[in-house]
Amino acid sequence: MMGGYKPGWFARTLSWGTAAYLVLPILIVIPVSLTDQRFLSLPHHGLSLRHYATVFASPEWIGSILQSFWIALAATVLSVVAGTLFAVAAWRLDRRSTQILSALMLLPLIVPSIVYAIGLYRYFGWWDLLDRFLGVVIAHGVTGIPYVVITVSAALASFDPRLEQAARGMGASLPQVLRWVILPRIMPGVVSGAIFAFIHSWDELIIVLFIASRDVFTLPRRIWDGINENLDPAMAAVAVLLIGMTLILLLLDMLVRRRRDD
Amino acid sequence: MSTALELNALSKRYGSFVAVENAELRVERGAFLTLLGPSGSGKTTILMMIAGFTEPTQGRILLDGRDITALPPERRDFGMVFQGYALFPHMTVAENIAFPLRVRGMTKATRDEKVRGALDLVQLTGFADRLPKQLSGGQQQRVALARALVFDPALLLLDEPLSALDKKLRAELQDELRALHRRVGRTFINVTHDQDEALSLSDTVAILNHGRLQQVGAPAELYERPRTRFVADFLGKSNFIRGRAEPGLVHAGGVTLRQHDATSGDVLLSLRPEKIAIAEGDNALDGRIASWSYLGAGYALVVDTALGALRVHLPSWRAPVAPAEGLQLRIAFAADAATIVQDDADAP
Repeated sequence: MMGGYKPGWFARTLSWGTAAYLVLPILIVIPVSLTDQRFLSLPHHGLSLRHYATVFASPEWIGSILQSFWIALAATVLSVVAGTLFAVAAWRLDRRSTQILSALMLLPLIVPSIVYAIGLYRYFGWWDLLDRFLGVVIAHGVTGIPYVVITVSAALASFDPRLEQAARGMGASLPQVLRWVILPRIMPGVVSGAIFAFIHSWDELIIVLFIASRDVFTLPRRIWDGINENLDPAMAAVAVLLIGMTLILLLLDMLVRRRRDD
Repeated sequence: MSTALELNALSKRYGSFVAVENAELRVERGAFLTLLGPSGSGKTTILMMIAGFTEPTQGRILLDGRDITALPPERRDFGMVFQGYALFPHMTVAENIAFPLRVRGMTKATRDEKVRGALDLVQLTGFADRLPKQLSGGQQQRVALARALVFDPALLLLDEPLSALDKKLRAELQDELRALHRRVGRTFINVTHDQDEALSLSDTVAILNHGRLQQVGAPAELYERPRTRFVADFLGKSNFIRGRAEPGLVHAGGVTLRQHDATSGDVLLSLRPEKIAIAEGDNALDGRIASWSYLGAGYALVVDTALGALRVHLPSWRAPVAPAEGLQLRIAFAADAATIVQDDADAP
């Protein structure tokens, strides 16, 4: 902002303090992952990459990373398709009933995960989806929908409804309007939603604890078990990888948003 | 000439609010019709019902004799230029114009050829690869026209197509629009609140107020022979004189006026300011200039007379008097200068 007043010492201290409070617990994991000790600790004599080597040499860790990745990818596809179609439909109809439905769509964000997990556990038991790849994908896909609905609805809010009228007036059917006019315009919102849905699945733990046990063992689950059973610094290395992945995705999201603003 | 578009008892209500009431209208093939009215008069609602974006509460819409009332917009065969143009911002000029051809499944070769023809038609040859945001307002407007005409629709709908442009550009594009209408020979239906635009562009003007069609006719007919006070007042300026009629005469303000079409009863006369002259003759009156302003091409005077304050327009070139406040003069108007109009309640 041009010509704004400089913040005073109080405001400045407060904001830096808040930022530090948010970031420091995340950053502490980086030196821990570089420890030269055999237990979870800060480096004593020097830095070492041995725990990263352990992770990449371990078929369990690699397996969990890959499994988490494929689950997140499949869940993202599910969230994006369902969330986008819903957001477009709600935007087009804009009635009382769709407003209620929109509120319902955000429920997975509001209801505590553990409540959701208990419910899913019962249903998945009946449908034989417990400890199955498909089960986790469905659970993550459904709970990821709100992220897509929010970002796509935001993109649609700035979409000129006359563009749709213009397209239909020129003879375009609804699928054609969706494919050629609406989707290209709201693509940044869709991509943004996809990134958040991916991150949601990538670091989701509580639901996985309930509905998966042995065959499906995602990365957050393995970290959780690792912390409970032994204090192997390899976990810190994995955590750094997890943070790195999330950071890359968030940067990607910022890039997409910047392109939309052009 | 045959009828291209017909509205039959068309109405639109939103709850108890009446947007359009019982509209009856026939548009000849190849005509340029303008729906003119103040905001909230229902003109845009009628256009949106013709397009199919708004569903009528009652009545029918016929295009070339075919009932299209129940058809969705994409099956009605019209081109439309929207307010603000509604060009697709993510497509180039050529892609925008090719859009209606693409949805019709035409091959790329046919599309390219038609797009070239449409660009030539609106004089934008060489702009094919630009994005809409790289064009000026006038150029965007022409792209919108090309896109609306490229697929040879039966009907072209224009929703306040010139309202976003500045005055000079608007006048230029009015001329272009009229020339374009002549060249393509399609039926054009235009919506505007701009009286000058309606008069200069159209073959037929339909004037609306409060959801009702007030009068439909050629521009000159509406201007010269308005039927109601609203029409006379909305289309240009007018003096209104209340009086009592007998055959050939109207008594008003203690003066007896000659009025060619007077018969009997209480009447309201509409008299255009430019039809009053500073002269002797029929219906001559003493007057005194209460105020005046210079408009370049003419003077606008307000003259106090026995009939009340009258607006008078004089051409400024070789004006018979040099206007000054308080100046005494004689004014006159012909027996066929004024028109007897119906006094509708809602006119000011």
